[in-house]
Amino acid sequence: MIRSHLFRLVPLALVAAAASMAPAAAGERETLTIGIIQYPATLNPNIDAMAAKSYVLGMAVRPFTVYDPDWKLVCILCTELPTIDNGRAVPVDLGDGKKGIDLTYTIRADAKWGDGVPVSSEDVLFTYDLGRHPQSAISNAELYRRIIKVSVKDARTFTLHFDKLTFEYAAINDFVLVPAHVERAAFADPAQYRVRTRYATNPTNPGLYNGPYRISEIAAGSHILLERNPHWAGTPGSFPKITLRAIENTAALEANLLSGTIDMIAGEIGLPLDEALAFDKRHGAAFQIVYKPGLAYEHIDLNLDLPALADRRVREALLLGLDRDALTKSLFAGRLPVADSFVSPLDIGYTAEVPRYRHDPARAAALLDAAGWRAQPNGGRRNADGQALSVELMTTAGNRSRELVEQVLQSQWKKLGIDIRIRNQPARVMFGDSLRHRQFQLAMYAWISSPENVPRSILHSSEIPDAANGFVGENLPGYRNPEMDRILEALEIELDADKRKVLWAEAQRLYAIDLPSLPLYFKADAFILPKWLGGIRPTGNQYPTTLWVTEWTAQP
Amino acid sequence: MRLPLALLGVIAAASFAGPVIGTGLGLDPATVDLADRVAGPSATHLLGTDELGRDVLLRLFEGGRISLAIGIAAALAAAAFGTTVGLVAGYLGGWTDRVLMRVTDAIIALPLLPLLIVLAALDLGKLGLPAWLVQSEDISLLRIVTLAALIGWTTAARLVRGATLVTRNRDFVRAARSLGAGVPHILIRHILPNVLAPLVVATSLSVGDVILLESVLSFLGLGIQPPLASWGSMLSNAQELISTAPLLAVYPGAMIFATVIACNLLGDALQRRFDRG
Amino acid sequence: MIRFAAIRLVEIAAVLLLMSFVIYALIGLMPGDPIDLMRSADPRATAADVARLKALQGLDRPLFERYLAWGGHALGGDLGYSRLFAEPVTSALGPRLANSLLLMGTSFVLAFVLALALGIAAARRPDSRLDRAISLFCFAGVSVPTFWLALVLILIFAASLGWFPASGIATAGLGGFRDRLAHLALPVATLTLAGVGGYTRYVRAAMRDALAQDHIRTARAKGASEARVIWRHALRSALVPVTTILALSFGGLVSGALVTETMFAYPGMGKLIFDAVMGNDYNLALAALLLATATTLAGNFAADLAYAWLDPRVSYQ
Repeated sequence: MIRSHLFRLVPLALVAAAASMAPAAAGERETLTIGIIQYPATLNPNIDAMAAKSYVLGMAVRPFTVYDPDWKLVCILCTELPTIDNGRAVPVDLGDGKKGIDLTYTIRADAKWGDGVPVSSEDVLFTYDLGRHPQSAISNAELYRRIIKVSVKDARTFTLHFDKLTFEYAAINDFVLVPAHVERAAFADPAQYRVRTRYATNPTNPGLYNGPYRISEIAAGSHILLERNPHWAGTPGSFPKITLRAIENTAALEANLLSGTIDMIAGEIGLPLDEALAFDKRHGAAFQIVYKPGLAYEHIDLNLDLPALADRRVREALLLGLDRDALTKSLFAGRLPVADSFVSPLDIGYTAEVPRYRHDPARAAALLDAAGWRAQPNGGRRNADGQALSVELMTTAGNRSRELVEQVLQSQWKKLGIDIRIRNQPARVMFGDSLRHRQFQLAMYAWISSPENVPRSILHSSEIPDAANGFVGENLPGYRNPEMDRILEALEIELDADKRKVLWAEAQRLYAIDLPSLPLYFKADAFILPKWLGGIRPTGNQYPTTLWVTEWTAQP
Repeated sequence: MRLPLALLGVIAAASFAGPVIGTGLGLDPATVDLADRVAGPSATHLLGTDELGRDVLLRLFEGGRISLAIGIAAALAAAAFGTTVGLVAGYLGGWTDRVLMRVTDAIIALPLLPLLIVLAALDLGKLGLPAWLVQSEDISLLRIVTLAALIGWTTAARLVRGATLVTRNRDFVRAARSLGAGVPHILIRHILPNVLAPLVVATSLSVGDVILLESVLSFLGLGIQPPLASWGSMLSNAQELISTAPLLAVYPGAMIFATVIACNLLGDALQRRFDRG
Repeated sequence: MIRFAAIRLVEIAAVLLLMSFVIYALIGLMPGDPIDLMRSADPRATAADVARLKALQGLDRPLFERYLAWGGHALGGDLGYSRLFAEPVTSALGPRLANSLLLMGTSFVLAFVLALALGIAAARRPDSRLDRAISLFCFAGVSVPTFWLALVLILIFAASLGWFPASGIATAGLGGFRDRLAHLALPVATLTLAGVGGYTRYVRAAMRDALAQDHIRTARAKGASEARVIWRHALRSALVPVTTILALSFGGLVSGALVTETMFAYPGMGKLIFDAVMGNDYNLALAALLLATATTLAGNFAADLAYAWLDPRVSYQ
């Protein structure tokens, strides 16, 4: 009996000792090893949107335009951003009252693929054909749908003719070039492009990459090795080699960092925030840990078709019954800014002048009483028909942070007399089935967006998925407000930045008054870096930190 | 044999008495207390608190109730179904036996984990189960019991079939047959008592196996869903805090270890008892 | 005997056929599809994109039609493309299979050798303190959740002592024999510790039975040395149940060890099967699962044949 207890205690004593020891020293600076929690399934820039893939390709494939760490639109592959002032952007009248825009871009003169072939308009034309083909399995085809045609002026200058004029016209962030001279053979049979693309069959071909690094070795499912691209004309990266190691289990990922097998953990695809905070408390002194709040807006969608939730007083009561400050402070060390509306405080359209709902259980109880939900002696609430106030809360199963938050919410609402039933589903079921068909009551998840992204598909009344329109649209609460529709439509085409700010403020205020969803907070990423690594600027948006890998340095 | 029985008895008694102990201490395993997270042992919380400020000791009791309930229910269900199949196959012989045994072998040959994954991820609504059941909080519990039983019955079936083959040719069975007794009567009154020995051993071993299975499912995210707690899910959740609060993992891990090893020792002791007698 | 073998082979084929349909149907019953996850990951993905991509994968066709199409190709030797890896199924399976055979094979050999040593030692001195200690060790090994064992090993030997790397199959850019060996150390240790208990008990029970038999007593009475008694006489009798576990572990070589592979980020068959099933990669999942099932069935078959050959009292009509 004692022996079997010893079996348990001895290893755990060792563990306790291990946890207090300093981690192994960092290796040579020949190579930087980055730990990530997911291995990219495919490396083709335009197929299968995946955070891990963007992260890897951020070092190897240059996009045209992107939002930088300061959330400003910048040119990466082009020479300058088209604006109406510099003449590169020309609005055109398409007839029928529709306005389009013609944008002329020039590719940088020094841009070359890894085999020395210059990046040219030929690649532009090829990528455009690829994107428009219905069978090529390009994941995000909206951009290509909006381009009516491409006209080429010379080897480096071309014009994109768009069918709609929106204020962010210059952002063609999703237009990522692939090399025509390498990929054309793979596109011979468009339906087979997905499996014949050289990014899958021959990913170490240098001609596929035009960035500071190229992929030189792949161990499928395990690691990717990148080396400096000799044909890169800009500042070279400080590290001759960069390795990315995929370790799915987060506890193992931490152990790898402590043992020195990896040097850093990527922020975008690394440890969840609460685990990073726990790691910080224990081992933070030996590392540099940077927290960057971002654009992912964690919220709870309320299904407005449910009679209980259709009443605005109940929605407000739900929000007042939550102590979001206490939640983010205790679970997330206060690193997550509490949200009052759907725009991040770091975003240009943000306004602080919106109605705020701080924790006020007394007022919440009063609102519920007014709405007809009377408190019962046993702790619940019932309305005049005798129905109990009981709703289902759904989020992605297996996501431990969210499960923790759910249980906190459940207990906070229980104090108000609201019975919450937790019903989690795997992400693919939730997004593919339940949310799409609006079969939910309360759904907790995050919207990912980009800077100044107009939430038309989320808040416009025409975007409510139902059987009639084939379940298209992301307006899951079923929110209908003609005023909000007007604001959203005006926002998209307003070219004047100041007028836009006014519209953004109106939208946020209306959202905070109507409360189609309960705002929770904006998520943050934790970048766990070795002390000797400098120059990393976490972006906080969906464009990965690796796009600026040439700024990273190893300080002695 | 007394040792493992005593151990199991203590664990079971403590777990099922959990609610009473909780009321006595004025605590409850579901109360979230954000101000007092991951605290060490104290006067109010004998084993400290977990990542949401809940009392660890009471969560262990609740976890014990659920883990033990799953283990025992699944083991009994598997035993019941397996015994029926084994008795029928062993007694009737011929084609019935061949078919049943081939099916049993096929199921044993299946790669276990992938099958579990698929079964655990199935949409029960599509299978025709009523909505009130699918949406209840206990559905994850029922799912796991069913899964474990579906996989575990084969061992019992093989054992019982083997023992039935031996028993059916014995004199008292032949005598019963010649007296005109019906097949069910023979199976239940004459054969079953004689095949119980290996069955009991296997069942007690399988309780431990089911508890381990549940912890693997929780590791994969397919196990008991919150807010229910089981030792397996407590252990999986504690992985993340392993460097800050290793004890949160020690407790459920120790409970799993103690229970499973007790089941194994019990089965072993029963085996030796039956071998001798 | 030939008749027996032939019947069994037919039965194996039948089981595989049934299995293929069951697996295809079960994967199809999983709600949603990984393509749906795109909507949450990419703010500009629309429902039209999702529908288009699903159609490209053929997911809008009814399940049975897809199954028959797969079956037709498979019987002709074409296992199709893996949608998860965007390469032919065979080239996705190949390296993973090799990795798993290496990991599982090494662990199994190590566990078996240890089990032989421990089992024989325990059987020779039944009910002694050594016997009881060995028994307890066996029970302990099988009573611990594997992911827990793996984590403890990583924390002790990789994170604090730094003797072995904590994950992967090789160091990027390097990879020599010694490097791969170092990366194998901890995963093999985990699997061996988890498995040795079960095998030891089997060996111990078989050896005890063998040592208690009459011809052993005869050999001893005739003055044979203890070593001779063990090696020549007892072991031969014990071979039957021992061969059985050998053959029954065949399937494990191919189906891998999901939990261990996840903890050590070791790309093997276990993780492949899990990812393929969760990713609705029908082609890959079926190929991998059928391979694992076939190997297990082949192992059972080999066990029965060996059983008949080793023990003259057994015969199959």
